[in-house]
Amino acid sequence: MGARSNKTFKVKPKLSKAAAAKKFKKKANPLKGVEYIDYKDIALLRRFISDRGKIRSSRITGVTVQQQRQISAAIKNAREMGLLPYSSSAR
Amino acid sequence: MRRYELMVILDPELEERTVAPSLETYLKIIKESGGKVDKLDIWGKRRMTFEMKKKSEGIYAVIDMHCEPAAIKELDRQLNLNEAVLRTKVVRPE
Repeated sequence: MGARSNKTFKVKPKLSKAAAAKKFKKKANPLKGVEYIDYKDIALLRRFISDRGKIRSSRITGVTVQQQRQISAAIKNAREMGLLPYSSSAR
Repeated sequence: MRRYELMVILDPELEERTVAPSLETYLKIIKESGGKVDKLDIWGKRRMTFEMKKKSEGIYAVIDMHCEPAAIKELDRQLNLNEAVLRTKVVRPE
């Protein structure tokens, strides 16, 4: 009797897991129509940094791995030229 | 010949109308070596996100050009010798 009820319990979480996986939706790529990520395009790069000036992870922004590399390189170039902050804890 | 893009940050205390002629004199290095300057874009004064050489502002200029690698290297070297140049950056856009 006890073993049986255990089995039914095991099935339930499996179902909810599948539901959770279905719920996880891929984000729309925010870089549609941008083929070269320019370090001078601050308005675009601002979307990929947090309030504190940190680079947002691709998990949050939903860009591809290749794009994330280009973005981070561009942000670092922009930082070197004083266009973006290294950190802005004052805010 | 390769395409290069050079960004220069100049001292904000410079007269803004002297910036273009003085940059032109530097760009002779490119022209004399057989390269060509496609565009000289002076952004003007801009607030920087942090201080460089105790200055919170800078005059930004962006230059697009085609030239040999040696010529841009020499141009970058000579710009950095100038005290009024806060920072430079050379990139090769895709």
